Amino acid sequence: MIVKVDNLVKRYKELIALDHFSMEVREGEILGLLGPNGCGKTTAINCILSLLSFDKGEVEVLGKKMTPDAYDIKRQIGMVPQEVAVFENLTVKENIDYFCGLYIDDRSLRREYVEEAIDFVELKDYIGFYPKKLSGGLKRRLNIACGIVHKPRLIFLDEPTVAVDAQSRNFILEGIKKLNREGSTIIYTTHYLEEAEMLCNRIVIMDNGKSLVSGTNQELKAMITTTEKIIVRFSQDDDGIMERIGDIPHVIEVTEEDGDYIIKFENGINNISNLLEFIMENNLIYTKLYSQLPTLNDVFLELTGKGLRD
Amino acid sequence: MTVYKYFMKVALKHKFIILGYSTLFLLVAIINGTIAGTEELQFVETDLNIGIIDNMDSELSRGLVGYLEENNNIEDIIEDEGYIREQIFLQALDGAIIIPRDFDEKVINKEEAIELYKDDRRIGAYYLEQQVEKYLIFANATYEDNTFDMDSLKSALNKKANIELIETKKGLKNSRMDIWFKNYYNYTSYIIIAVYIAVIGMVMIEFRDKRLEDRMRISSKKNFSLNREIYLGQVSLGIGITSIFILGSLVLKGRYIGEVEFSKYMINIAVFSFAILCFTFLINNLTRSRFTINGISTVVSLGTSFISGVLVPQEFLGERALSIAKFFPTYYFVSINERSIGSFGDIRYELLMQMMFGIVFLLMGLYFARPRLRA
Repeated sequence: MIVKVDNLVKRYKELIALDHFSMEVREGEILGLLGPNGCGKTTAINCILSLLSFDKGEVEVLGKKMTPDAYDIKRQIGMVPQEVAVFENLTVKENIDYFCGLYIDDRSLRREYVEEAIDFVELKDYIGFYPKKLSGGLKRRLNIACGIVHKPRLIFLDEPTVAVDAQSRNFILEGIKKLNREGSTIIYTTHYLEEAEMLCNRIVIMDNGKSLVSGTNQELKAMITTTEKIIVRFSQDDDGIMERIGDIPHVIEVTEEDGDYIIKFENGINNISNLLEFIMENNLIYTKLYSQLPTLNDVFLELTGKGLRD
Repeated sequence: MTVYKYFMKVALKHKFIILGYSTLFLLVAIINGTIAGTEELQFVETDLNIGIIDNMDSELSRGLVGYLEENNNIEDIIEDEGYIREQIFLQALDGAIIIPRDFDEKVINKEEAIELYKDDRRIGAYYLEQQVEKYLIFANATYEDNTFDMDSLKSALNKKANIELIETKKGLKNSRMDIWFKNYYNYTSYIIIAVYIAVIGMVMIEFRDKRLEDRMRISSKKNFSLNREIYLGQVSLGIGITSIFILGSLVLKGRYIGEVEFSKYMINIAVFSFAILCFTFLINNLTRSRFTINGISTVVSLGTSFISGVLVPQEFLGERALSIAKFFPTYYFVSINERSIGSFGDIRYELLMQMMFGIVFLLMGLYFARPRLRA
């Protein structure tokens, strides 16, 4: 294990930010720390990095106990904070060089690493720019470059795609995959489930400072009873239709959202044919009908009773 | 030394503050030097225009009028307070005296014997008051056997003291330049406070930004080494800023440094710079607000200059103002500049006080920095 967090408790007076939070990260993987805003993701990362003290628990990074003066461990860690943290009065290149200089003393090696980081985030055309002249997406890239320039073995990325346009988001996600391919282990916090599904080898779902479940995308989905969702819209209103749909075999829940009926099934076999049979029997006309496999949001919903973005 | 290097780079982004203050300061110094060169030693005796109404018309009151008439122009005025004040405001008169009917009796009883109107902002008023006081004190002293001894009074008033000028320090023969250097270095206190707080404060706001600080804290750079480079940057910046003003004095009047107590100014400004650097350290640990730093820079630099004798000489300041001024190093800095010294032992108290202030500021700064350092 490259990171091992055991029973971490962090309190802010009455508020429990981390409630016996545990997590393990394997070398070479991208671990997603998924949870709604305010669930304790950033607090967990700050505790792991010794930026915050904690009340109880243990943190091991790279096989050693993590402390504020564990400089040999810190040398191998990179962090990309949630908010852009760069010097406004230094240019793109100077910023990257500054943060590289905090890790690397050798000048020629530093120069080489800085060039590589600039190439990696594709900021070559902006090296002389001050951050205030950069767009939000370019600032995010600079923020990433400052965190990875020293080629860390373990990288923490705290919601790096928040408030970023779609193009920059794809660029960032591709970059993260590339970093992982080059050998870095990545801990990626997000509240975007699509990103976690697409990017992460394993996912830890958090809520209220607790780690609810962890596993691969498939493992998590297999943990819940819902195996299929069918979304259907009818052209006419029909009283009591929800109750009648509930009588179709294997249906476990029917909800209505903006005129669409969302039907959850606990068994993935013949569900659409059963539903179509029901529609014909009741002389209903549908305008939309499609089937969906459960998402991480469904996993979260079933575990907590609320959606990830509630 | 990456942190040090980039600390200086960020500091240079604020070069316009340093350049702005320095340019203004040096321009004023040049103008001051030009004026000082032409007028400083040309003292011209000027008669005051004094309005007098003598309601007593006694030998003593006529004596006062006569005494004042010896060196001043006496003007006829009417006994109307509004009119008198207007004449003084319009500078037609330097002052006015109304001698009451019971003048002699009041002099005998040491009561306020005359009504004196003057403009306190003008040095002539001060001189007029001195002349009147002198006459009244001497008159009272000559009163004996129900009569004033007018001959003794006149003789006492005409007595002159013989002043022998003793040269106290070898080689210091240019008092005009000493005054220029004194004024120049007094004003540097204002500039040093303003620039130190503003520039170092602005750089530190950036380096103490919570997000950047967190980023630095998770790096493999040791906390001690990181802070050492930041403090080294502050000291270098302080030395650089102070050097600009020392260099300014050398460029403008460098050929006279052998004729003034230049080493006194150097030691004084070095110790003062240390104290203000420590004060800046304290401020930086108290606030991270740009607005507050700018406010403190302006208020402290101007405020302490006013009450410590930079803008107005210490001898013209009230006791209360001076008592308050003693709680800041500028007072001791100015006191040293104002004084001619035989050896550095003469100013050891003032130097020590500045050092003490520096150490106290430093300790207070460390106290307020504790939570951050501990984190």
